[in-house]
Amino acid sequence: MRVTVEGAVVDLPEEASVLLALRAAGVDLPTLCHDERLTPVGSCRACLVRLDGRVVAACVTPAVDGAQVSVEEEDLRRLRHDAVEVIVSALPPRALEGDGELARVCRDLGIGPEAAQGGAGRGVDHSHPFVHLDRDLCIACGRCVRMCAEVQGTFALTLVGRGSETVVAPGTGGPWADSDCVACGGCVDSCPTGALTEPGLPIGTHLATFTRTRTTCGYCGVGCALDVLTREGEVAAVRPAADGPVNRGHACVKGRFAHGFLRSPERITQPLLRRRSGLEPVSWDEALAHIARGLRAAVTEAGPDAVAAITSARATNEENYLIQKFMRVVIGTNNVDNCSRLCHSPSAAGLTAAFGLSGGTDAFEDVERADCLLVVGANPIEAHPVVGARLLQRVLHGTRLVVIDPRAVGLAGYADVHLRPRPGTNVALFNGLAHVLLTHGLVDEEFLRQRASGLPEATAVLAGYPPDRVASITGVPAEDLVAAARLYGMAERPAIVYGLGVTEHLHGTDGVRTLANLAILRGAVGAGHGFGVNPLRGQNNVQGASDMGALPDLLPGYGRITDRVARGRAERVWGTRLPDHDGLRIPRMFAAARSGALRVLWIIGEDVCATDPDTNRVVEALESCPLVISQELFLSETARHADVVLPAASWLEKDGTFVNFDRRFQRVRPALAPPGQARTDFAIVHAVAAAYGAGLGCPTPAEALAECGRVAPVFAGISHQRLDREGAIPWPCPDPEHPGEARLYLDGFATPDGLARLAARPYLPPGESPDDDYPLILITGRRWAHYNSGNMTRRSGTIELAPSDHIDLHPADAARHAVHDGDLVLVESRHGQATLPARITEEVAPGQLFCTFHFPSSRANALTSEHADTVTSCPEYKVTAVRLRGAQG
Amino acid sequence: MEGPESWAPEVAGRFGLPAAAGLGPATFYADLAIPHGGRRVRVCTATACFAAQAGRQLPAVQDVLGVMADDGLDRDGSVSLRTVRCLGYCYAGPACLDGATPCVGPDVADQVAGRVRPQAPPIPVSDATGDTVVLAGIVAGEAAWRTWVEIVGRRSPEWVRSRVGASGLRGRGGAGFPVAAKWAAAGGSPDTVVIANGDEGDPGSYADRLLMELDPARVLEGLALACFACGARRGLMLVRSEYPRALAAMRQAVEQARADGHLGRRVHGSDVDLDVEVVAGAGSYVAGEETALIAGLEGGRGCARARPPYPTDQGLWGAPTVVNNVETLAAVPWIVSRGGGAYARRGVPGETGTKLVCLSERFARPGCYEVELGVPVRWIVTELGGGLREGAELGVLQVGGPLGGFLAEEDLDVPLTEAGLAGYGAALGHAGLVAVEQRLEPLDVLRHVWEFAAAESCGACSPCRVGSRRGLEQARSGVPPGDSYTRMLNVMSEASLCAFGRRLPQAVRSLVRAYGDRLRGWCG
Repeated sequence: MRVTVEGAVVDLPEEASVLLALRAAGVDLPTLCHDERLTPVGSCRACLVRLDGRVVAACVTPAVDGAQVSVEEEDLRRLRHDAVEVIVSALPPRALEGDGELARVCRDLGIGPEAAQGGAGRGVDHSHPFVHLDRDLCIACGRCVRMCAEVQGTFALTLVGRGSETVVAPGTGGPWADSDCVACGGCVDSCPTGALTEPGLPIGTHLATFTRTRTTCGYCGVGCALDVLTREGEVAAVRPAADGPVNRGHACVKGRFAHGFLRSPERITQPLLRRRSGLEPVSWDEALAHIARGLRAAVTEAGPDAVAAITSARATNEENYLIQKFMRVVIGTNNVDNCSRLCHSPSAAGLTAAFGLSGGTDAFEDVERADCLLVVGANPIEAHPVVGARLLQRVLHGTRLVVIDPRAVGLAGYADVHLRPRPGTNVALFNGLAHVLLTHGLVDEEFLRQRASGLPEATAVLAGYPPDRVASITGVPAEDLVAAARLYGMAERPAIVYGLGVTEHLHGTDGVRTLANLAILRGAVGAGHGFGVNPLRGQNNVQGASDMGALPDLLPGYGRITDRVARGRAERVWGTRLPDHDGLRIPRMFAAARSGALRVLWIIGEDVCATDPDTNRVVEALESCPLVISQELFLSETARHADVVLPAASWLEKDGTFVNFDRRFQRVRPALAPPGQARTDFAIVHAVAAAYGAGLGCPTPAEALAECGRVAPVFAGISHQRLDREGAIPWPCPDPEHPGEARLYLDGFATPDGLARLAARPYLPPGESPDDDYPLILITGRRWAHYNSGNMTRRSGTIELAPSDHIDLHPADAARHAVHDGDLVLVESRHGQATLPARITEEVAPGQLFCTFHFPSSRANALTSEHADTVTSCPEYKVTAVRLRGAQG
Repeated sequence: MEGPESWAPEVAGRFGLPAAAGLGPATFYADLAIPHGGRRVRVCTATACFAAQAGRQLPAVQDVLGVMADDGLDRDGSVSLRTVRCLGYCYAGPACLDGATPCVGPDVADQVAGRVRPQAPPIPVSDATGDTVVLAGIVAGEAAWRTWVEIVGRRSPEWVRSRVGASGLRGRGGAGFPVAAKWAAAGGSPDTVVIANGDEGDPGSYADRLLMELDPARVLEGLALACFACGARRGLMLVRSEYPRALAAMRQAVEQARADGHLGRRVHGSDVDLDVEVVAGAGSYVAGEETALIAGLEGGRGCARARPPYPTDQGLWGAPTVVNNVETLAAVPWIVSRGGGAYARRGVPGETGTKLVCLSERFARPGCYEVELGVPVRWIVTELGGGLREGAELGVLQVGGPLGGFLAEEDLDVPLTEAGLAGYGAALGHAGLVAVEQRLEPLDVLRHVWEFAAAESCGACSPCRVGSRRGLEQARSGVPPGDSYTRMLNVMSEASLCAFGRRLPQAVRSLVRAYGDRLRGWCG
């Protein structure tokens, strides 16, 4: 379609609006009710132009081929001026202060504060910690309402009243703080007038006075690009980047608002060393000398394998790279692991076995193009809100949805079919779905012939999982199972998205593999139709920490330590021989500590006493280990048990890169200097190495990533310089000219034979099952306002949104135990006990409980067991047999 | 009933909807937004009732009820009073609805007070054409549904469309769009929905109330024919809540039609399936605009939406949707039965056929008359209406409701056509004629127009949202306006989202023009 704008011809896609034509022609005009992400409504009527002789609002008027658009005629200029003047006439003069959108438009049009004669005294709502409403500044354009509906999908907001009284309000009618708002900040970001603001950027703010730093969010693994606004060493606000490759201007309560922890008085700002009286502040030199002595003693007396490090999936790639290099090259051990052990190690193992590489198979934007989503064991609405919101929008626009989750939360309410298997029965369920695909002829024969192996073995096992049997194992009605399989099987472009509900099981790797079977049977992976199998990563850099080789059996880029070729490549780059046997996994590190074999445990940014299972045994390990080093922001439970505590920088104070859940490298840039004597983990590792008398090379993060590319060919094309130019690059990316492979396996799988490998895995029962003593099953997970151990979110304003912990139980169980909403209940497992207030809800099934570990004081992980995935040692967090001991208090 | 905050979020939750889906609409519609008591009185403050007593009925009713209008409940919480704009008793006002009981007449306050018996005189009706079309049932006793029985299963939708196309029939709700063209635009999909728009919001007109109350079967027959012509299996009948008797009559007519086999599966042995559902409005003028009406039927706020997409492409829940006014539909059986040519010969070229005009209470012979389009307005005023009662002098004549316009006495030779009225900045609208006596203060009339605008603007677009309020403030101040008012009127008329905001400045300007010297300085 071709349109002439003020004499200039522009080419447009079909269904383009006149506004798009104007933008294409480089014409700027006021668009106060418009946000490119939202359905245009034509409320402000300021974008007035003449289309073939008619005055129209450009935003809501479709362009037509051959049309003439005039913009600059004097009467049109005056009309646009007057349209804005009419809007301003109802506002108080403060609406024109600062450099918000309306204020800027008014300055451009020469509309001054004298035009603003309103101010109806409609009042403010400052009840919410992050979203403030000034009703007198509302122009009823509805951008906030549409953001909440069309981007966030929470539907918390509405316009109320009519005519001149129209104003935004939370749909629940009361104060904003009590509403359905999940504080994504989208409404604040879109508001053109300052009716909605955040406390750090009140009305009248001039954004130009802030320093703006583009970085990548350090909370979950979605990888939202954020702009951090700072002034005088303080974060004023964090705003999602409109051009963020993954988030496209969206964010969630955590990335957007949970930065208050940065200036918490509890931040550790100097090294601490355990003395007789407890942890005492010391100089860096003293702390480092103590560590060096301990390391030397351990290596000398018990060999390099007496030292182990738990790195952080929150730290940068470069930091993880440097730590594993230190352990392998300087200490001489492979005892390095990261917390993907506790979440997605079964994904790494399962996806590698099935397809060849350790990561999701497809880009998120492709997943969004799916016509059927199979969301398994994940609650992205709360745990990965930006992804959850986008998936929800697809479902609202007609994408079919199957949710597999014992709980009825998040997307489940929108599902075509919601399967609620008994915790621990995933493999039976996935085998059951595969059985239906086979028996209903919903498999891709051609794909299976050409591109997959293992069909006969798989078919033999799957024959044992007819719907009736699966129903008896899982509790999922047979007809629902069939319906779900048919939805997935008959879709043209199905996609699987899954989370820790698949992995954190005794047979988590089998779960990943039997889930991957569905995509292989359907030919929906690596084939351009269907978008594979995609894990949602819980932490910002859990993919990257593993990519960087912070694993006891794998080098950077997933070369096996036992693989002579891979090891040889690393040895050549690092200039030293490497130990050729696998190191200890995290649970084995604790066991080794308890047995006395481990002398030094270096824990970087993990609060293992809060997040690892069977807390009491973890504490025992730390107490048994002669030297425990904790690198931390706060004096966590783990830090309290450490011998040396080193003050570390947070993600907002670091330089480097993260890899998100769909394998995208993105830059992390420091918006602030670390407080006091705190240092980045990168600097700390260098300092420890120096104190130990060793050099690690790569003095800067950029050089570290460059060196990593030489060790790991899959990252060879990625560099800081390139990321600074291009924003995000997915791996594999073998050379600097390569765009990176967003969609994997189109030319073959990365398995040795190039074929996708079907798994023939039988269902095996979970480590714990309900019995007479412990009749209930506890599931743990995450809630929307908090993150992981809560160390950061509990010290940010988010705590006001969700101030306390609770345990969810079904009304039937509540009645049986005479528990009322809010009662404190004692929960006991075979491993420990925890006390939490009860929340009675049908979100959980009868016989099941749910809680988080955001509040370590509740000691939820005192309940969880040491049962772990038989392949990867990932803990069975999702299945713990417990009992309730009546109501208390 | 208390304010929406106390109940709407919870009601939405019961339907599995977000709280916002309850609160937004509930605060929009007057029936829901304003708390009401066990005794719920609605007082009409629209033009005819205003013109009857220069607006004095409102304080009088407030006095007898001891409650301020639109201001919550009385002291013991049992009585509420709400202003509404038109109850369809323009020929006999002022009017109130006490629950569902109309109280109409000069002594309306006494009726509400219980001092005299409530009264609601019937609508005086008359055909002034000699061959009635839409009043065929009411004044000529022609039974409804005969055309339907003959057509369904025997003729094709194209045949019906072509007859209506040949008739030149245009929408009678105000917009005047050719009916057959709208039907054709829907594209014939069986998902098509046809909505009979019985949200007769135009103050001064009670023609639709008349048809729905006295000849609902003809309206329904017209709707059935429209559905047939569009290939639709589903019709909806929206009746405004201010017309409780019309609502009851339409519901009963649907029941009767189902019982008589005019609706249902395989109607009269044909392969046509058709059902009609009657829906009540909730108190909003703009919700009579077709996109706003659809938004309301979807449970949303009754705000106008930008077009395109036109409802015929994407209307109710995305389905192709045709919205036809009640009077329009009531003409369809006659046209289909007698042929398009017979209708096209009536009226004037380009604006064919007949039209119901409604004369207000100030006329000597108020009532609803069927006339041919193109007759001089003066003829209607003097010959049909008999001039003003008690020999009063005409100040201005409102034509076509608040979005129509005003004529001065010397303008009355204008023909009753869209084109003719446009020459005076007025519009045919729904052809209500409200006489405003010379003795009324012009500024009060101007303020009345702006009060209507401010009360009924939906707020979806800024020109109308802000302009309706500022216009009222200006009129209330009594101070002739400056340039910014002129600019504001210009923005409203050029840039508003729907006809409401676009037409208001014209109506205001036509009033100023009609009053001449008496409103000097208010030209805008």
